[in-house]
Amino acid sequence: MSSAIVRAVLSTAVALFVAPLAIALLTGVDRRVTARLQSRRGPPLLQPMYDVVKLLAKEPTVSNRAQIFAAWTYALAAAASVVLFCLGADLLLVFFVQATGAVFLVVGAMSVPSPFSQIGAQRELLQILAYEPLLILVFVGMYMVTGSFDVSAIAAYPKPMLLELPLLYLVLGFALTIKLRKSPFDFSASHHGHQELVKGVLTEYSGPFLALTEIAHWYETALVLAICAIFWAPSVWIAALLVAVTYAAEILIDNATARVTWRWMFKYTFPLGLVMSAANLAWLYVR
Amino acid sequence: MCPAGNPMTQLLVLLLLAVPVLAATVCAAIPVRSVRTAVVLATGLVLAAASVGLLFVGRGTVSPPPIGNVSVDSLVTVGDFALLAIMFGYAIALRSVIVGLLVVLQAAPLAWFEFSVLDHTTEIPAFAIDNLAIVMVLVVSVIGSLVIAFALPYMDEHEKHLHVTRSRQPRFFFFMTIFLGAMNGLVLSNNLLFLYFFFEVTTFCSFMLIGHDGTRPARESAHRALWMNSVGGVAFVAGIFGTYGVARTLDLKEILSHGAGGALLIPIAALCFAGFTKAAQVPMQSWLLGAMVAPTPVSALLHSSTMVKAGVYLVLRLAPVYAGTALGSAIAMCGGFTFLAAAALAVGQSNGKKILAYSTISNLGLIMACAGLATPLSLTAATLLIVFHAVSKGLLFLTVGTIEQQIGSRDIEDMWGLYQRLPVTTSIAIIGIVSMMAPPFGVLLSKWVAIESASGVPIVVVMLALGSALSVLVYTRWAGMLLAMPSLSHPAVPERLPWLMKAALFSMAGAAIALPASLPLILSRVVNPLFAATTHLQDLGVSFVHGHGSAVAFLPFYAIIGIGVLVTNAMSRAAKRVRFTSPYMSGVPGDFQATSFIGPMNERVPVVARNYYLSPIFSEGKLTPWVNAGAIMLLIVAAVGAVR
Repeated sequence: MSSAIVRAVLSTAVALFVAPLAIALLTGVDRRVTARLQSRRGPPLLQPMYDVVKLLAKEPTVSNRAQIFAAWTYALAAAASVVLFCLGADLLLVFFVQATGAVFLVVGAMSVPSPFSQIGAQRELLQILAYEPLLILVFVGMYMVTGSFDVSAIAAYPKPMLLELPLLYLVLGFALTIKLRKSPFDFSASHHGHQELVKGVLTEYSGPFLALTEIAHWYETALVLAICAIFWAPSVWIAALLVAVTYAAEILIDNATARVTWRWMFKYTFPLGLVMSAANLAWLYVR
Repeated sequence: MCPAGNPMTQLLVLLLLAVPVLAATVCAAIPVRSVRTAVVLATGLVLAAASVGLLFVGRGTVSPPPIGNVSVDSLVTVGDFALLAIMFGYAIALRSVIVGLLVVLQAAPLAWFEFSVLDHTTEIPAFAIDNLAIVMVLVVSVIGSLVIAFALPYMDEHEKHLHVTRSRQPRFFFFMTIFLGAMNGLVLSNNLLFLYFFFEVTTFCSFMLIGHDGTRPARESAHRALWMNSVGGVAFVAGIFGTYGVARTLDLKEILSHGAGGALLIPIAALCFAGFTKAAQVPMQSWLLGAMVAPTPVSALLHSSTMVKAGVYLVLRLAPVYAGTALGSAIAMCGGFTFLAAAALAVGQSNGKKILAYSTISNLGLIMACAGLATPLSLTAATLLIVFHAVSKGLLFLTVGTIEQQIGSRDIEDMWGLYQRLPVTTSIAIIGIVSMMAPPFGVLLSKWVAIESASGVPIVVVMLALGSALSVLVYTRWAGMLLAMPSLSHPAVPERLPWLMKAALFSMAGAAIALPASLPLILSRVVNPLFAATTHLQDLGVSFVHGHGSAVAFLPFYAIIGIGVLVTNAMSRAAKRVRFTSPYMSGVPGDFQATSFIGPMNERVPVVARNYYLSPIFSEGKLTPWVNAGAIMLLIVAAVGAVR
């Protein structure tokens, strides 16, 4: 009994502290690699953490109260979803908790009458609309293979799921790209000052509240990468390699593609993801 | 158990059926406002108390004793034909061939059946009370009563707004209260003929209530509701005929005990089709969309606790017969398709009531899908969804009604920044919206159980995944509109609501928040025994944290939102903690409220941003024909599935 409690406490600690810091570091690597790809030197590895620390120290400034609520619930829900994952909870529950946070981020952006923030919020909603069903289908695929939605049971599955869910892994890659707001799916928060949306859905979050959204984003990324990792649960090393390769592919895609419009996403990428999921599920069903 | 049932149960059933009729009669006979208020409130209290009483003491069957020397069976028969005669009268008045035809198609076979086919000598218990019936009675009596209480002040305002010279409220409350009685009768009935009678009463009440305002759109919508539901009525009569032909009884309990499959499938399919029309499943959705012309409490009643829930109840009730058959799979497919199609149609809407209407149809589709899958887990999901959806949707309709009376619009674009104008109503609306889509609230929990229970059937689960994401989009957008805060100033005029409205809204919001916390109790005491689902949350495959499916597991989810609220309040109270500033306008803001910026030539340029409604894909006109065509094809598949 007590060992179960110790394990739960440890898992929670890993989820709350190790996961976001690891992702912050990964983001640092990402920025360095991206800079090299663009023939720049790039920032120090710890730059994402410096940024967040600096933002946290700034004077809290908002347009209205809804933003405070939005930033906090986004961060809390994102952290809770990672904790639940590490405790071996039900995948759909983990997902719904995460989704609640994502939704509150949008609500906060919509609460401010800045057109940049408004349009960014609408586009973020479309991104959510695109990745949510794909993620649910990935989980359903996992259920069809392992017979459970529980992370603990899925992680205990003796064979690598990737071999049975290859298409769904690619679909998860789609979802990851959209979730990371990386190119070509970065239309809800385009990052450059001179571009159409300033910073889209994040425009109106500033100082500590922007820091909260950044931390929440670390948690979210940790969650999706953890989901990638359980595709090869039997071996920690291969799982780590899988995550590394996947993230490297993300960086490459980010740098090699141009931003698409939401129409393009719904016309081409989304149906492709859906067909791939359906094909993989149908194969599992018929088999 | 003695044939008449235990006296306490008998009394409670009598109260649930007779009190609404009595109250309706008083409402119609004494057109005095104070009398009406007192009667309606008393009825609500009695119904709520009786339904709770039923939960604790009532199980088993009840056969009402004859009144004088007329048996209740004959009374129901007389009632059937009287009702059909009235409907025929309306068909003539409306010059509606289709309604007339459909009424004759019900009356003629029914007469033949009653007088030359049915063996009247066998006694059938009229009412049977089990946990499903009790859940339904609670939904009808508690939520329905709250809606009617809300309607009291609402209708005063409504008539003031329409400049009605002679109040038509006696008629309105007559049908509203009768409706509750009929619903209670419907869910308690064990004799299929009783069920049919109450089914028809709800059709007729909804016809009268939808047409209440007497305007041209109201009359047209009422007519559509009448003929579409009469199609269901015809199917119901066919179902009764066929069921009796196969099973030689109209005793629902006995019919359900026959087990799955066999020759019963065809008549049961007809009954399920009747349920589909009543639950406004595609392609029969248009009557429920038209129904929103009625005063909002009518919509709230039709969408949450009555009418459409009669449809899903009927299908859910019949699950033991079609469980595991092709018909069951077909029902699951049709339901899943409705869930997806209606969610997609909601995306293109900016009319608040229409969004809610499509969302209702969508959720009913989900209930149908779960019923069709007919596993213990899916039936649990269906039952939970009936309860939680009733609370959340009733609440949302009432808030939209309140908002409409205060701002004169039901368009969500007009609700932008509403929080600042109507903080109380808007807060409740937000509770309603969040309770439709976020953990730990009931609708999401049920949706979750639904997806897990559908996971073995890829095609259904794909539809559920897509539909679920679409409804998140719809509700998030709305919440964002409501929470927008273009200025910091407080409303010039503090919001005033009649106390009855406030009481109804607060009780329903309270129920939406608190009910999920009692889910473990609801499951173990009420729902599990019903579907032989043996145990607790974790064994249902629904553990929150592995192996800890207890009430405690809900706390973190309440905590997330709770902490958010607390931090927000704490930070914005202490003015020093956070500085308020105008939004970024890529230029000089025109004013602090930032509804404009300073453009070229020092002119103020107003800022306007609108929602995406994705009309190239999701507009009603474009999508509806495809949806209807798909739905008709699926219904054909279902029919084939039943015959095979």
